[in-house]
Amino acid sequence: MTSKSINKAARKTIFYLFVTTLLVGILLPVYFLVTLSFLSTREAYQFPLPMTPALKTDLKLGYGERGYLLSVWERSEDDYATVLDTNDLDKMRVYIQSILGTKITDEELAEQIARLESSGEEEVFFTQPRNLLYNYETFFRVTRDAVPALMRSIQIALITIVISLVIGGMAGYAFARYLFRGRDALKFSVLFVRMFPGVAIAIPMVLILANMGLYDQPMGLALIYSVGSIGLTVWITASIFLGIPVSMEEAAQVFGATKLQSFVRITLPLAFPGLAAAAMYAFLGAWNETVAAIILTQFNPTFSVVVYQTLLGATGQVNLAAAGGIAMAVPAVFFTFFIRKYINQMWGGMRV
Amino acid sequence: MVNVLHSKSFKRRQKKIVPYLLILPVVIYYIFFWVRPVINVLVGSFTDINTGGFTLGNFAMVFQDPTFWPAFWNTAIIVVVSVTLEFFAALALALLINRKFWGSSYFLFLVIIPMALPAVAAAAMWQTGLTPHGWLNSLLFHLGILDEGQKIFWLGGYDATKARLLAIIILVDAWTVIPSVMIILLAGLQNIPKEAEEAGYVFGGNYFTVLRKITIPMLSSTIQTAVILRLISAIQIWLIIVLLLGFGRLPVLVERIVYYHEEVPGLDISYQMATGYTVIVSILVSIAAFFYLYVSGAFKHREDAV
Repeated sequence: MTSKSINKAARKTIFYLFVTTLLVGILLPVYFLVTLSFLSTREAYQFPLPMTPALKTDLKLGYGERGYLLSVWERSEDDYATVLDTNDLDKMRVYIQSILGTKITDEELAEQIARLESSGEEEVFFTQPRNLLYNYETFFRVTRDAVPALMRSIQIALITIVISLVIGGMAGYAFARYLFRGRDALKFSVLFVRMFPGVAIAIPMVLILANMGLYDQPMGLALIYSVGSIGLTVWITASIFLGIPVSMEEAAQVFGATKLQSFVRITLPLAFPGLAAAAMYAFLGAWNETVAAIILTQFNPTFSVVVYQTLLGATGQVNLAAAGGIAMAVPAVFFTFFIRKYINQMWGGMRV
Repeated sequence: MVNVLHSKSFKRRQKKIVPYLLILPVVIYYIFFWVRPVINVLVGSFTDINTGGFTLGNFAMVFQDPTFWPAFWNTAIIVVVSVTLEFFAALALALLINRKFWGSSYFLFLVIIPMALPAVAAAAMWQTGLTPHGWLNSLLFHLGILDEGQKIFWLGGYDATKARLLAIIILVDAWTVIPSVMIILLAGLQNIPKEAEEAGYVFGGNYFTVLRKITIPMLSSTIQTAVILRLISAIQIWLIIVLLLGFGRLPVLVERIVYYHEEVPGLDISYQMATGYTVIVSILVSIAAFFYLYVSGAFKHREDAV
């Protein structure tokens, strides 16, 4: 009896060890990208890279040949490393702020200098908090177009949501409530269009959108993205409306509501969670898409194109690139968790 | 009396029109923004750019492109190897989560994070990880596997073999994709009645015989869905390759489209090349998509609803 329960406990332990190892293995790359996005520029170019971002910076001030000697605590070396020898306090402040990613003001620095001078010691030690968001601030400041591109991406996603919910939702309702000739053909066409490569639409769309005056415009991209997300919305909304019994609409009509009223008052509120999921899918599709955006923009790139170009040029610093990647990932991960129940509707459910 | 009859027939007619009115916007939208560009690209790929007449020359040019066959075969290798690898890994993961152990819902929650990452974010992750001074080597150093000053050049110099580059791309891509295959398989597993598997155990089957003889056969339609959908996205792989290796080091079909359209747009042949590659990719994807519709019963005549 006891040996059996010990055996069971051991097996359980091994099982959970296995699960944990698996989880760590899967999430480690994400962890490192997040860490890298918080590292200071100085740390981001060290080898080996620190495995966690520092939350504070230990600094040391002393006297150097040209003025004051600034040293910083090196976690990997377990010692102070001299980084700057200057008389120029502005330069020192900027160095601490940008290269060390650490918060400091002119007054704070002057205060430490005064402390060094008055103490009569060779050196003084002090600690400053890190500015963990420094890479993010810098990414949006120095990357040409990052902020307007972010705005455009959001704008495109919102237009895509509206187009695909209105057009796709109508068709989804028709699929759920009516039997009509051509229903199956249309249902599968919708699926086929969704599977068709977006890049194949984007190339000929260059000319079509140029003729419409929509090339390099958010509206143009939203029109392309809607092609894919309408299909998705049709399937999601069809399954939602199927789940809402017609009898509820009919009951409302018995009490004198018109067909439209019963739809707006009864069906729409019930369908709301599903419609929200469809909207989030449309958002994700537009937000994550890169290839059509590369082809169809020139001076007005989307945010994903800006991050792509940062990575492609490899001109940006690695910690800034990481910050861009995380900025791109956060909304996507956020929305994916809301819609994970509906993920299987992405391709028209299990059985078509 | 006549009035009532009249209104009844009117209602029936209205009922017939309503669904068509509801689907009309989709149809119009698709005609404008799908049918028209598809026809344009098809016509363009068979049009002589100088004379405006019909020609097969554009495709001849694509086939003679020294990077066409490498791109084709690289794509083919990636599709075959990664779909196989990802399927088995995803199935194992789905079976694990389907055991519904304590904490499995949190586990599921965390495991799908890679799937949620946009392609550029995943690329940022591996680009910063696979450089010689990147986080992967740093991790190996901290674990004591690598010595000081010793670094693995994951992506090699220009002497890196193609097999190695393919292997790295396939593994890195698998990391992103396995959760999405897994989630389809998991949904399928959850639809299998418990009794079926229990019966297998009652009749003396062990875990693997039950898996092989009962679970997998009952999962077959889900497996088809997962594999073909993954196949379609694998044919279109390009971003991770370009962001890890740059253009041209490991050519694949969609990468060629972007290359000709964006990187060397000024060449005489750029547009025809991009169009030609586009049509080829579209044909490959369409074959897979038709196959999907076929196995899911789209072409069988049916009366039953959704």
